[in-house]
Amino acid sequence: MTKIILNGREVEVDPKKPLIAACHEHASHVPMYCYHPGLSPVGSCRICQVEVKQGEMPARVVVACRTPVAEGMIVNTEAPKAHEARRQCLEFLLKNHPLDCPICDKAGECDLQDYAFQENQGEGRSVEPRRKLEKRKPLGEVIVLDQERCILCSRCVRFFEEVTEKPQLTVAGLGSRSVIATFGDRPLTGNYQGNVADICPVGALTLQAFRFQARVWNLSKAPSTCGECSRGCAISVEVLRKGEIKRVRPRHEPEVNDWWMCDHGRFAFPRLNEGGRLAGALARGANGLEPCELEDALDEAADLFRVHGRPLVVASPWLTLEEGQRLLALGRALGSECLFVSPEPSPLADDFLHTGDPCPNRRGLTELGFTAAPAADVIARLAGAESALLIGERVAELVGEEALAALPAALRLVLVDTHPLDARAARLELGAPDASERTGTWLNVDGHRGALGIARSAPPGVPPLTRTLDELVRRVEAGAPTSPTPGRAR
Amino acid sequence: MSPAPLKREVYLLSRIGTKDSHTLAAYRASGGYKALEKVLTGGFTPQQVTQLVKDSGLRGRGGAGFSTGLKWSFMPDPAKDPRPRYLAVNADESEPGTCKDRVLMEKDPHGLVEGILIACFAMRVRTAYVYVRGEYRASYARVAAAIAEARAAGLVGEKILGTDFACDIWMHQGAGAYICGEETGLMESLEGKRGHPRPKPPFPAGFGLWGQPTTVNNVETLANVPFILERGADWFKSLGTPKSPGNILIGISGHVARPGVYELPLGISARTVLEESAGGVWHGKKLKAWLPGGSSTGFLPGSAIDVAMDHDSIREAGSMLGTGAMVMLDETACTVRAMQVIARFYDHESCGQCSQCREGTQWLAQIFARLERGQGRMQDIELLSSLANGMAPGKTICALSDAAAIPTHAAVKHFRAEMEEHVRLGRCPLLAPGAPATHELEEAHA
Repeated sequence: MTKIILNGREVEVDPKKPLIAACHEHASHVPMYCYHPGLSPVGSCRICQVEVKQGEMPARVVVACRTPVAEGMIVNTEAPKAHEARRQCLEFLLKNHPLDCPICDKAGECDLQDYAFQENQGEGRSVEPRRKLEKRKPLGEVIVLDQERCILCSRCVRFFEEVTEKPQLTVAGLGSRSVIATFGDRPLTGNYQGNVADICPVGALTLQAFRFQARVWNLSKAPSTCGECSRGCAISVEVLRKGEIKRVRPRHEPEVNDWWMCDHGRFAFPRLNEGGRLAGALARGANGLEPCELEDALDEAADLFRVHGRPLVVASPWLTLEEGQRLLALGRALGSECLFVSPEPSPLADDFLHTGDPCPNRRGLTELGFTAAPAADVIARLAGAESALLIGERVAELVGEEALAALPAALRLVLVDTHPLDARAARLELGAPDASERTGTWLNVDGHRGALGIARSAPPGVPPLTRTLDELVRRVEAGAPTSPTPGRAR
Repeated sequence: MSPAPLKREVYLLSRIGTKDSHTLAAYRASGGYKALEKVLTGGFTPQQVTQLVKDSGLRGRGGAGFSTGLKWSFMPDPAKDPRPRYLAVNADESEPGTCKDRVLMEKDPHGLVEGILIACFAMRVRTAYVYVRGEYRASYARVAAAIAEARAAGLVGEKILGTDFACDIWMHQGAGAYICGEETGLMESLEGKRGHPRPKPPFPAGFGLWGQPTTVNNVETLANVPFILERGADWFKSLGTPKSPGNILIGISGHVARPGVYELPLGISARTVLEESAGGVWHGKKLKAWLPGGSSTGFLPGSAIDVAMDHDSIREAGSMLGTGAMVMLDETACTVRAMQVIARFYDHESCGQCSQCREGTQWLAQIFARLERGQGRMQDIELLSSLANGMAPGKTICALSDAAAIPTHAAVKHFRAEMEEHVRLGRCPLLAPGAPATHELEEAHA
């Protein structure tokens, strides 16, 4: 570690990181546009100017992102000269900026807006016409470019060059006529396009899917983990007024995904907004599946398993460690084998983040003692079973709703799922929360523990899966069958 | 103005105007490649060559005026750093007003080749690249032909002059961007990338072309080298001033009777250049203002014409020697118009990386354009100063931002009254009543 004096305080900093990282680590706010900790520093936006004094040399104003730290360096981020240089730089950046913040999706999380606000730079001195450029230029299906808002920081260019190592964007044109472009206006390709909207410091690159969807200050943000593959990228699930998920963004997690995530994971959330959820409990009555009290459904499920012993237990691959442990306890109490359904590998696998394994907790469930089973195997096993418990988010969908519907009524099926299933075998159906509605832990492909966070509440009558399982275990272990409810088929 | 008259001797242009001066035969007949022979077979070590150039006091002729020998000595010792190393020759002469390297390349290309070979020997460089400005097709052809001739004669390639010294020289044609004359922009361009200057450090001597040790030298600088090797450091120092020794090629243009490239000792009075070499201001007019060293050096008023043309004197006078490209404006010229042209140039040529330069050069150009049209405001003059202060010095990756800011400061200092007159009248005061303004003529032609 290297000791420097930062704003009058001696601090220890990482000598491998540029000065700007040291400033940020020690709560000295230095603005940045072209600098991003996940990309190489280019020192082109010039907004991070600070005053540095080294040895006997007179104090100089330098860009913090291109300045290595050195023992004994005296840094003053608020020196009048440095502050003035940043203000001047800001004025230049705002000269052609359209200032359409009221209709800009980035407003509220825009680095340029924040710094202009902080510096109280409300009025410009320019009377020249602002640059007129393309305001909505699609760069493929994911990203829309607003050339007028762009401050040419080149983060997006470097993202494709350095992170995905498949260069796609460049700065075209010279000087004040520069724009971000692809070669020959080809659309962007690949599974990582969305990241450039996250790292764009202004509203130049926006997500097609998020344009005009929400003001970001109205979003409540929950840290969570992506469940689209076994990488388990750290994410932020962002919900508008406790209801709809509007956006999923990566969260910085150096052990898993750094600042990035794939588009497949990023844009998986609309499924969670679709509705058609299984709320409360359903039990098969004279007229098919009918709503019933949750407590009654739990009682009935426990009875069913005791009478038609050793049900086949099939879990969703989205089950958390906590849910898995309880399900195993239930399995032990029932003398059942516990499987989890393992869908076909995804062709999206790459050498960056996407593992191609659609089971976010394969490692966790396997280590607990679950056996992975392809959907076809599950169906084959179900066909020969007397009773079964299918449990977890989207488990019926992953096993195959049509195949489940074709199973004979003789199979007494208890389903605990996010969505109802229309199948004659289904005797009881209980609601389960989805990944945005529960806590828990997934173990990713490398053994990293990824926590799920509650971004919104589950539909009414849907308890946490852990509680449902605890209740089932308690009832099964209590032993004595409760009295059968009249009029219900067993 | 200097107390003792300066010694006059022509060497750089000594072959210019002789028959077939661009050919190997003519070059050899006039003593060419003797310096190279002396270096290679006379028992010189590379360090001795570098030391000699250092002792001569030769300062780079590309504009910055840095000691050439010192620059060469920054190249790492190959015993400790065995990486490949390069010499990049900056022949991207693009500073408005500058046209001196072109004369050397077109008329005396072997002088450049010999200078390159000696420099490569001194820095133990195996490969040199000549980066020629795209528009300089004749220069490109002449230098390429000279290299081919020299290669055929065993002067370029393996076993040069029968010794173990090997050196290849390759040509590269630029595509017309001013910024590729900035040394790191030039290297990026040579690597096949956009000519975006690199932040320094790292400096080219440690991390240059393809990340390897590299020195970038100007054409005229290298053309001086064979003469220094042949005639010695003391001879070189007998020319020019103690701090700026040697001759310089001064390209004088604008409102003069005989524009052209003249070889004169550094420290020569600008008045001498104007009156003796260029035949004075044309049509008997008076000198209003002048640029001492290209568009980026900042105007001096006509009254400052007695300044000596060397690095330090011009700096004291408030400008820079730059490339020694004098641009003279007579009393009928509109300095606001001149600044508009200069500002427009820098707006056009800014690479666009740094915020201050990308936006600032455009802003300056817009303000000067408004002032020139008579649409300026009094506060625009203060705004120009303030913007130039935000752009330079040393606030950006390269000096292009400075190059736009420096003449702006000079214009505010020297031409304030003329700018104010433009604002007051709402038009150019030098324009005859009813005559179309320059921008109107331009628009009519567009």
